[in-house]
Amino acid sequence: MKDHDRKLLGVFAKAIACIVGVSSALHSGAEPLSDEAFFSQKVQPLLTQHCLKCHSHDAGKMKGGLTLDSKSGWQTGGDSGPAIVPGDPDKSLLITAVKFTDPFLEMPPKKKLADAEIAILVEWVKRGAPDPRKADTPAAIDSNWWSLKKLEAPEVPGDGHPIDAFIRKRLADAGAKPAPAAERGELARRLYVDLHGYMPTPEEVQAFVSDADPQAYAKLVDQLLASPRYGERWARHWLDVVHYADTHGCEHDVKRVHAWRYRDYVINRLNDDVPYGRFVREQLATDVFFPDEPQLTPALGFISAGPLELSRAVTAPKTFDYLDRDDMVTQTMGAIVSTTANCARCHTHKFDPITQEDYFALQAVFAGIGKGEVKYDTDAETHRRRGEMTALATAANKRDKGVLLDPRYTRTIQQWVAARKAQDAKWQILDPEVFVAAGGATLTKQADNSIFASGTKAPQEVYTVSGEVGLDQLAAVRLEVMKDERLPMGGPGRAGNGNMHLTDMDLQWFAKGSDEPLKLKIARATADFDQNGWTAKHAIDGDAKTGWAIHPKVNETHYIVFEFEKPVDTSKGGRLVATLKQLPPTHHIGRFRLSVTDTEEAAVQALPEVARLALDKPADQRTESEALALAAVALDAHAHQQLKAFPPQHVTYAVSTAWSHGKELPAPMDKPKVVHLLRRGDIEQPMQEVGPGALLAIKTLPGRFNLEDPNNESTRRAALADWLAHRDNPLTWRSIVNRVWHYHFGRGLVDTPNDFGRMGSEPTHPELLDWLAVWFRDEAKGSLKELHKLILTSATWQQTSKVATNSSDADNRLLGKMNRLRIDAEVFRDSVLRMSGQLDLTMGGPGVEQFVGISGKLATTLDYNAYDWNQPSAKRRSIYRLVWRTIPDPFMEALDFPDLGILAPKRGQSLSALQSLAIFNNNFVLHGSEWIGQRVQKEHPDDARTQATRAVQLIWQRSPDAEEVKRFVDYIEQHGITAFCRVLLNSNEFLFLD
Amino acid sequence: MSMNRRQFLAHIGGGFGSLALSHLLSSDALAGGLPELNGGLHHKAKVKRVIQLFMTGGASPMDLFDYKPELDRLHGQKLGPSSKGEGFTVPPGPLMKSPFKFKQHGESGRWVSDVFPHQAKWVDEMAFLMAMTTKTNVHGPATYMMNSGFILPGFPCLGAWTSYALGNLTDNLPTFVVLPDAKGLPYNLRGPFSSGFLPSIHQGTVINDIGAKAVPDLFPDERFKFANPKRIKTGWTCCMQ
Repeated sequence: MKDHDRKLLGVFAKAIACIVGVSSALHSGAEPLSDEAFFSQKVQPLLTQHCLKCHSHDAGKMKGGLTLDSKSGWQTGGDSGPAIVPGDPDKSLLITAVKFTDPFLEMPPKKKLADAEIAILVEWVKRGAPDPRKADTPAAIDSNWWSLKKLEAPEVPGDGHPIDAFIRKRLADAGAKPAPAAERGELARRLYVDLHGYMPTPEEVQAFVSDADPQAYAKLVDQLLASPRYGERWARHWLDVVHYADTHGCEHDVKRVHAWRYRDYVINRLNDDVPYGRFVREQLATDVFFPDEPQLTPALGFISAGPLELSRAVTAPKTFDYLDRDDMVTQTMGAIVSTTANCARCHTHKFDPITQEDYFALQAVFAGIGKGEVKYDTDAETHRRRGEMTALATAANKRDKGVLLDPRYTRTIQQWVAARKAQDAKWQILDPEVFVAAGGATLTKQADNSIFASGTKAPQEVYTVSGEVGLDQLAAVRLEVMKDERLPMGGPGRAGNGNMHLTDMDLQWFAKGSDEPLKLKIARATADFDQNGWTAKHAIDGDAKTGWAIHPKVNETHYIVFEFEKPVDTSKGGRLVATLKQLPPTHHIGRFRLSVTDTEEAAVQALPEVARLALDKPADQRTESEALALAAVALDAHAHQQLKAFPPQHVTYAVSTAWSHGKELPAPMDKPKVVHLLRRGDIEQPMQEVGPGALLAIKTLPGRFNLEDPNNESTRRAALADWLAHRDNPLTWRSIVNRVWHYHFGRGLVDTPNDFGRMGSEPTHPELLDWLAVWFRDEAKGSLKELHKLILTSATWQQTSKVATNSSDADNRLLGKMNRLRIDAEVFRDSVLRMSGQLDLTMGGPGVEQFVGISGKLATTLDYNAYDWNQPSAKRRSIYRLVWRTIPDPFMEALDFPDLGILAPKRGQSLSALQSLAIFNNNFVLHGSEWIGQRVQKEHPDDARTQATRAVQLIWQRSPDAEEVKRFVDYIEQHGITAFCRVLLNSNEFLFLD
Repeated sequence: MSMNRRQFLAHIGGGFGSLALSHLLSSDALAGGLPELNGGLHHKAKVKRVIQLFMTGGASPMDLFDYKPELDRLHGQKLGPSSKGEGFTVPPGPLMKSPFKFKQHGESGRWVSDVFPHQAKWVDEMAFLMAMTTKTNVHGPATYMMNSGFILPGFPCLGAWTSYALGNLTDNLPTFVVLPDAKGLPYNLRGPFSSGFLPSIHQGTVINDIGAKAVPDLFPDERFKFANPKRIKTGWTCCMQ
């Protein structure tokens, strides 16, 4: 079609539309339809008949990204933009499409609408597209789904153990019977693996088998739950779910040195049996809920457990923010409420009642924090006092009258004034021997040992000055920036207005005869005058964009004092090297002088002029501004002195306001970043701002958070934790009981533990799931140990797996027998170590590196094969292995240790050629065979019969029968006990739990 | 303990083994004939093998096959923003045309630059997908994108999906094999070879630099005398029957 034809047709169509539109209005009677009636009577039927099949949530289709089942659907539009411009049919893509005027945009695709129908749509758009359908309801937010329904405990269908009653009812309905109980030996084996993560010793099996007490089994369950080994086993499950690893993952996969504290936190809290609701609250916002228990800070490692893409943090910071938060949202919602909220990143969820706004509201919860190393105290008192002193230093910085002039600090100020008056710092002027300017300025030494700069003014300049120090100790360094009539406006800077910027100060000490400098750690910087926003502190923050400046007080000499964390011993002589960095713009220092002192504390601190004057006045004659200036100086000194004296803090990898983009900020964020709804998930298409919230679909809970102070990010996390851990959140309680069930049976009642939505599985036993959830919440008060006990003491769990599967239930979903499960990677390793008598039960601490690491400049490589399995660190439990996210241990991987780039709510149960090779030939297994062989040899020297029996007892937890003994003895005599142990470790009887 | 593979798989029950069993039965039924691929496709696969060359730092397509005449016209001009954009390490410089000459080749008329005189003769035998785009140009995420289609970690790579979709011809060899550059792993290290959330049977078997340890655990380390393959062969089945 030629261009002018198209135009003509457009005009023609418009003309017809006008006519038809008018006539239809006339036909409908004297009274024109109201907007609402017009929509529901005319427009909606058209949309339903012709559009919604491909453009609605109900249909599960949103071709071209467009939905027309809600106002927000056409407002947001699809790939090509908003579908309707209210009031303007010519600019509305929907109208263009139905008119067939653009060959690339013809809708409905198969048959053009009748002219009268098109006219109705045009009329609708002209009216401003009134759409009384509530945004996102009811099509989008339809809570009529099993997992979202209110939790109510159904009646237990029968007597006895409630779990058995539910399971047997379903079996009976299907005409099937439960399997008999497993043999006691098998049961002991299964129980140890389930709760402790390794096989029992032959003695442990024997003790249980021969215990005549009818309560023997329940006693064993209690005993195993009470052991710290339980936390080590079950923590690994949770760490899988939250994709915890000890490195960042991604392009720069570097080690997270302090991440292990979260791993230890999970182990300890499971051993403590912390109620589940509290466990959730701690991990989201322990700082808000339990401020007096600072030792729980590592709990926040939950939020930071996932990968960190450092290369994106640097090159694409906006994208980074959205994707880093995406990981936090995905994990929180997947792990705690089994919801795939992340599917609503680019569009409202296609299957579940989760809007795009819900998703970004969840992002907003995490908008005030970043992943990084967080310091914390382990006792409440230090934590409280450190908090107070940090706040005091901040108040001093801000000249906060309310705090600084509080009477409780009067005495502290008096003491400081007295100390300052009693002792004057003795400053010794440094005689500069070497002084250079990297940017090319000419430096000239003056008679008073100051240095004058002239000549070239490069965009960035670094002065380096060195001189000898004739003191026994060095406590502080003073830099004077001096006025000079040769400088613009009298200096002290070389800028046209006389100002100067000291971006950063570095100080190093070279002891006599040493080439190795000692970097002097500056604890505090103070100046006699700070330009607004350019304070002394900025000269030691390592930030090239900030610094110390003195405008407008030019034509005056000023000074800044750098105090060290602790005095340096300089009694043997040596050189001080000072590096004065002055980055763009060209506000370089014009004349300066350095001095050193051995005096500590009060005497050396720089005093602003007001404070200096106030110092000499009696307290009652000071003006308020003088009193305030003096209080600020005194209390800043006091706070820093106190802070220095506290014991060192622990460090954990977690989240805090002090980190962003993988870097520590000079000052913590004082408010969260702004989160926009991104159209199509595209950062170039930000829509409205979204505040913190959760899902609107759970109507009994607040889906959006009304916070007193939305700028206090921690209240956002706390609000989400409240939402998650609320007793009326049906997802949370169903999610956790299903997850626990999954690990006990190898499969959950819902087979998709992280997805309770329409794309996930539905529960096989919905009544049992709900009953368990309510019981866990109300009766067990969120105690996981009680839940384990309930499940493990059911006859259902104690069934044998050694019967044929019911033919009508090939997948054993009705649990007419126990599932036969392959042991996982950790159980394999820990069992072999235990069988060899070498398992090291040391708990906690930094991850054990079971590889030889080569950290290259570009990429790290790990050689797992070169690791020496005879060293002590090889014998720790597997949970303490350092897990490198992108370079997994091939042995563990072959046994389905998951890829922790993503949440791992389930592990595979694969059988592969690679796995067989790994178990057959891997160094760990060969060493294990040797260790176990040596043990057996030592216990039963040179007797193949007893050796065979002992090895089978150790590895299979049973005694061999006579016929087996005969064969095994043959084998041992031919190949040796070590080779025999290797055979046993490769057997199905070891690898599977009956 | 005396149980063959079929009984064993049936015995695992709980559904975990039944899938593997049906696969075994179906492949056994074909015994004698050529093996068939057994993956998840609902039609017979035409393709038997896929070789993917993923070259970190390889030559740019616009110097090889992707002729951009507009670049010739706009050479030297600055079009982009003056500041560093999202995804860039520095502000973009002026446009640069390819330093190589392009010519059309074959019946298809495929444009190829003069750096590939030999490949140019075979263009009619090759398929070019000229509609590729990426969501990122940051190395790490882009490496994930090229291998899994996602810029986030944890998704199965092309090899794992191929293994999943095509299946295998034999149970005894890995379906998906990776030969990394001997100079070192790509960005994200082994992340680009991950089977992600697919079962670990689809994971890439990494063949290391040439040498005895090319495939981990193919043979026992020599220091374990008891595990010498020649010695161990006899007696194993007798012991484990």
